[in-house]
Amino acid sequence: MMTAVESWIEEPLMTFINDSRVRIAVLLESSGRVLAQHGFTRSIDVMSACALAAAIHASAAEIGRQLDGTPFKTMHHPGRERQIFLGELATGHGAHILLTVFDDATSIGLVRLYFAELSRRLAGAAAATSSAPPTLVDFESDLNRNLAKLFGRI
Amino acid sequence: MSLVNYAAREITCKIVYYGPGRSGKTSNLHYVYNQVPGDRRGSMVSLATQTDRTLFFDFLPLDLGTISGFTTRLQLYTVPGQVYYATTRKLVLQGADGVVFVADSQRRQIEENVESMQDLHANLAEQGVDARNVPLVIQYNKQDLPRELIMDVSELDDILNFRGVPFHAGDALRGTGVFETLRSISELVLRRLSGAAAPRVAVGQ
Repeated sequence: MMTAVESWIEEPLMTFINDSRVRIAVLLESSGRVLAQHGFTRSIDVMSACALAAAIHASAAEIGRQLDGTPFKTMHHPGRERQIFLGELATGHGAHILLTVFDDATSIGLVRLYFAELSRRLAGAAAATSSAPPTLVDFESDLNRNLAKLFGRI
Repeated sequence: MSLVNYAAREITCKIVYYGPGRSGKTSNLHYVYNQVPGDRRGSMVSLATQTDRTLFFDFLPLDLGTISGFTTRLQLYTVPGQVYYATTRKLVLQGADGVVFVADSQRRQIEENVESMQDLHANLAEQGVDARNVPLVIQYNKQDLPRELIMDVSELDDILNFRGVPFHAGDALRGTGVFETLRSISELVLRRLSGAAAPRVAVGQ
């Protein structure tokens, strides 16, 4: 099942997942925050994967800049059973990163092909906007209680 | 900026522990990791050298529970403190919702503290962020060391806390001040999220 923080991502990403037949797909910000994901079961695991993906992407971009004069924008790692593809997408809302894992149900060629299509679709997708911040009324007591519970103080 | 998913009623906030090398940033995260039940945290990711100095960052995702009806998650990061990892610090600082500045209370480290605080403000400015608007909490760590080696909290505060932000004395290895620091920064971040300008869009599934 796919979950997305922002609705404009849903349709293009779902199309990519169906067409490319990848097992895992995560769209994230360059700061490492998850925007949408398919394939992970625990949200907290997605966060770790995204933190690492953002780091790999930033490092690769910098190596590219230093060695080649332009940042590396995609990376592919072929494992024994599963492969990883990481690529930067220029959406209408800044640069985002796609992390995807796939097996022999598809190929790197197809993944690249549909990745390019995803990039076009996301660039054309309009972001919904929200003008109101979340209403966090009297959140201090919830925060104190939850943190105290986490730290075993109650 | 915090990510808010209104449909799923989820909030995700990024908090970065900043400060000079060996001030205790990673120790803060280790303490949190060891205190929190396994089902409320993810794995602690540490990209470190063989001698355990932070090379890229440490990362700990934390499930804070429900706050005002929103499932709230914190992403705790540390930056490498050594001067020569400036580029890495900028990357990790990107998109931070709040910053904990972990100062080393040792008298001989005061210049490193000041440099690191200046570095934090310079990096925020470079990212187009007004440092005065970023929630910040200072932890004066290593207050457990012998008095002759350290500066007391009021001395340190005079030098480092020119914004008058919340501060805590700490001994991160034993956990003193770790909880209070995390509570303070979480409160500032959530208060800003609730009362400030609109956050990123959040209308997904």
